[in-house]
Parts: sequence; structure tokens; C-alpha cells
Amino acid sequence: MIPAKAAMQRLVGHRFPGGHYQIEHWENFLLSEATGIEPLPDALAHPVHLFHVPINGVGTSITELFRLAEVDRSAPVSIDYYDWTIHTPIREGETYALSGGITAYERTEREGAPTVDSFTYEIDVAGEGGALAAQVAFRWHYWRFDS
Amino acid sequence: MKVEVGDAIPAWTMENVTPERMKTVAAILRDPTPIHWDREATRKLGLEGRLLNQSPINLGYVVNMLMAWAGPTCIRRIRTEFPLPVFDGERVSAGGVVTAIETEGDSRVAECEVWLDLDDGTRKVHARAWIALPEETE
Repeated sequence: MIPAKAAMQRLVGHRFPGGHYQIEHWENFLLSEATGIEPLPDALAHPVHLFHVPINGVGTSITELFRLAEVDRSAPVSIDYYDWTIHTPIREGETYALSGGITAYERTEREGAPTVDSFTYEIDVAGEGGALAAQVAFRWHYWRFDS
Repeated sequence: MKVEVGDAIPAWTMENVTPERMKTVAAILRDPTPIHWDREATRKLGLEGRLLNQSPINLGYVVNMLMAWAGPTCIRRIRTEFPLPVFDGERVSAGGVVTAIETEGDSRVAECEVWLDLDDGTRKVHARAWIALPEETE
């Protein structure tokens, strides 16, 4: 069943609880290795941490994002874009404060094609002194099928 | 480092996208999506049991290319789109070209068009990146 458009629209403005995240060495090691390189020098974290650190650190999860959007787990989820701005390099061992929420929603309906709900999420990553270290925005498409 | 508009960024290649790495990444990301680790799930989607690499890791290959070129703290901004998935067993190469150079105070920032392709040119990822350039040397 396709969720009501109005219910999805009401998610715009939803704020995540917020929280903190510290990248551990093991995590940086394994994630760097998964991209095909050794860990970076000087405790620098691989920039791909800017995918999961904001999501998990802001007090949500991929599972929770799916739940909010009433995603049918058998239906595809696709990615429109990621937009990462890095003000200062992300490092292992530093504690980052995360804040953010759902900032946009759009439903696409076309004759003969599945309905697609698209959500934009924006999360700020602040360093220990409070200065903004990075900003991330991403837009996911949730495909809907009448069952 | 001397960089000019039109310069190609040296390519970076992942020779073989492996299921083992996808499983590691799924655990780190706490990503419950089975298309990264359950071949039966992708069979049901008509993908013949091929596993889909996580999009941040596809982006990671592009990031690795940029860091190998301009250093590990070079990335100021990267905006990425993912037109096609990367499957297990594929060989993908990141490439790019400098499209503009701007001066910000004492530093120079290169705007680059970057991508991740199969050997046959099929584009899996494309992105625009803003890269802080190391000091120019003769």
C-alpha cells in the first residue's frame, strides 16, 4: 500500500534527536580497507565516514529512516545524490556533535510507472569546539508499489 | 603541484569489487538492506543474484583518486550522483578532469568533474568536486 502523500509531506521539518559520534580506529581501518586503501596518516578518517557518521550520530539509523518513510522493505530504495562539504578534516578519536533533520519531500507519479517518494536529509557535523566540521545533504528515492 | 584547467586526474582502479568487503561495510554502516549481502534478495529483484556495492564505497573509490592526486585533506566539497549500481565482480576505475580553478585567499581550489566507470565506459558514478590544491611548485 502506498502511504498517504500528506503523511509523507508532514515529515518535512522532522528533527532527529541529535547526538555525538566518535570514529574508532577499527572502524576507520575497516572502512578504509573496504574502499581499497590503507588508513590515512595522522588519524585522518576516510571521508566516506560522512555517510554513516551523520546518520547514526544524529540519533537515527537507516532502519529508522525507512520506518519514518513507511518503506516496504521488498521495494527498491535508490539514491539521488550525496552532497558533502568538508570544512575541516574528520579524524579518529574526536567527538563530533550531529544535528539535522528532513528538509524536503517530493512525490513523483507517472502513468505506468511506480510512485516514487523522494526525501532530502541535511545533517551538520560540529567539532569539539563547536565549529562546523562538515555539512551533509542527501536525497533518497523510495519506490512504491500498489500491493 | 602545477594544475591547469583541462588537466586529467590520474585514474584510480578497484580491480575487483568483492562481496566480503560489502558485508564488512554493511556491518559498519548498520545497513539492513539485503541487496548488499543476500543473493536471494537480488534474484527477487531480477538482478540474477548479483550483489550491489554500497554507494558510499563507490564514492570512496572516487575519493581515493582525489586524495592520491592532491592529498588526504584535499576535498572541500563533493556532490555525487549514482546513475547505475556497481555489482560484485566488477572492475571500476575513477577518473576526472579539472574544469576550473579559483583562488580563495592564499589557497587555490580546483573544480573537477569526476566519475567511476567500467572499462567499457559505462558510467556508474558522476560527481563534481572542489579540491584544495597543494602549493604550486616549479
